[in-house]
Amino acid sequence: MGTLTSAIAASRSALTAERVRIEAAVSNLANAESTRGPDGTPYRRRDVVLEAQPVGPFDTLVGGGTPAAGVRVAGVVEDRAPFQRRYQPSHPDADAEGFVALPNVDQAEEMVDMLGAARAYQANLSAITLIRDVIQRALELGK
Amino acid sequence: MAVDAISAAVAPPGATGITGTLRPPAASGAGSPAQAPGFVDSLGRLVLAADDAGRVANETVGAMLGGTGDVHEAMIALQQADIALQLTVQVRNKLVQAYQEIMRMPI
Repeated sequence: MGTLTSAIAASRSALTAERVRIEAAVSNLANAESTRGPDGTPYRRRDVVLEAQPVGPFDTLVGGGTPAAGVRVAGVVEDRAPFQRRYQPSHPDADAEGFVALPNVDQAEEMVDMLGAARAYQANLSAITLIRDVIQRALELGK
Repeated sequence: MAVDAISAAVAPPGATGITGTLRPPAASGAGSPAQAPGFVDSLGRLVLAADDAGRVANETVGAMLGGTGDVHEAMIALQQADIALQLTVQVRNKLVQAYQEIMRMPI
């Protein structure tokens, strides 16, 4: 409909992206102790790659030379950092030396990521609320 | 001459003047600006847009309930449908207001 609705579309794309970030952090936390996955190796930490994405007429006003307003999930990549090793000979997945390979997930880091994503989600919700209020104020001109 | 012009605009209903622009361009008289889209056409397009937004909102809410959509997508679609409807209602109010204003005009 116009620039304001494109701005809502941009915020909406950000909401989806932040939701995926939260899901990735939740998945990492849930699998912090998973010593085996479908391929037999321990779970690898997932990371979300975000990419700027043009959204309608909003770009022509905001983007300038580099049209970019919305955001989209370019992909979910696996963290190639080495696995943690814990000495636990009784574990069925322990190697010959008695060490178990654990996922390369740092729980504190995941908590921080999750909080950041949740705050970003809230910020985008606020932006949408603001745009809606602006439109409704404009509509009140007709009353 | 001025009186003639006014009576000509008022007397034949649906032919010229205000009534002419209130009709679709195809049905309007020769004297009216048929090329410019009238107020009612805009209202018609707005109604269609509001209907479209309502349909999209309905689909998005259905997708959310079906487990394939997001809550925020559904809420945003509902808000956009609400805004489109409010805009349509405001335009319609102005149209009715203008009509009543003209009907109150002493001739």
